[in-house]
Amino acid sequence: MAWKPLYWEDVEEGQELPTATLDVTTTTVIAGAIASRDFNPLHHDSGYAQKVGQKDIFMNNATICGLSGKYLTDWTGPEGELKEISFRIGTPCFPGDTMKMTGKVVKKYTEGDQHLVDVEYEFNVPQGRNCGGRGTIALPARGR
Amino acid sequence: MDLEFYEELKALVGQEGTPGVAVDEVCKPMIRHWCEAMQDGNPLYTDEEYARKSKYGGIIAPPTMLLTWTMPPLWPPRQEPPHPFEQFLEKLDKAGFYGIIVTNVAQKYYRPVFPGDRITFTYKVTDVSPEKKTSLGNGHFVTTAFTFTNQKGETVGTQSFTVLKYRFGA
Repeated sequence: MAWKPLYWEDVEEGQELPTATLDVTTTTVIAGAIASRDFNPLHHDSGYAQKVGQKDIFMNNATICGLSGKYLTDWTGPEGELKEISFRIGTPCFPGDTMKMTGKVVKKYTEGDQHLVDVEYEFNVPQGRNCGGRGTIALPARGR
Repeated sequence: MDLEFYEELKALVGQEGTPGVAVDEVCKPMIRHWCEAMQDGNPLYTDEEYARKSKYGGIIAPPTMLLTWTMPPLWPPRQEPPHPFEQFLEKLDKAGFYGIIVTNVAQKYYRPVFPGDRITFTYKVTDVSPEKKTSLGNGHFVTTAFTFTNQKGETVGTQSFTVLKYRFGA
């Protein structure tokens, strides 16, 4: 696959990121938990999750973090360099949920020789907001 | 709220345990498994040829994987004395705050992480809230700050992490 770089000059404050969706299954949740070496039974044992008051197993924080990075660099392409990601977790994301990912550029600026953008993004599931976050990414600048 | 208990918790804030060393070095198979789970097609993580021609000169790990390198092994159990953070959680468990859920995560990335790197990490509890009423039950928010270093002693990133330790339905 050919990757087209997203240049800093071509981004504007207020610009929306393409919306993405992810159909979350039991496998998605467990694969994410195990790939992040998170063996907490909340993320692979539905009996346990129900016993402690959850509807089912739910997506762990590291998967939300990984999906945040993926969502941002799917937009910028591999030349976009993640500098910072922070997010707040709201309602859990359960198997069967379709996660809708949206985002918006809120700030475009330079720092030293870095060309940066800040993006605010959200992952929503049918029962509410699973994740509300902010990411800072360095982008390539034209002619540099 | 039990004020004496809260004071005991606050006394543990800021204590740094001994640095931990990642059980595995950073490696391509774990990177690929991560990308598979996250459905992340960024070629810097898995495409040797693309990565070689990039400014990194080779595959890098997804920066969001930072904490993964430092997760404890399922087996065998670690021999080190419990870290102040574990003491914190244990204290809350004993007081009936069994529930745990992550509420906030913030990561900063300073340097790329390459296959072959061995990550060392230090962490400490930086904040504990008074007992608060939440939709899950009453609980304390506990914030921990991690610093991740590579084998050259360079800081590759940091993470702050807030968990809610709560009493079920109370």
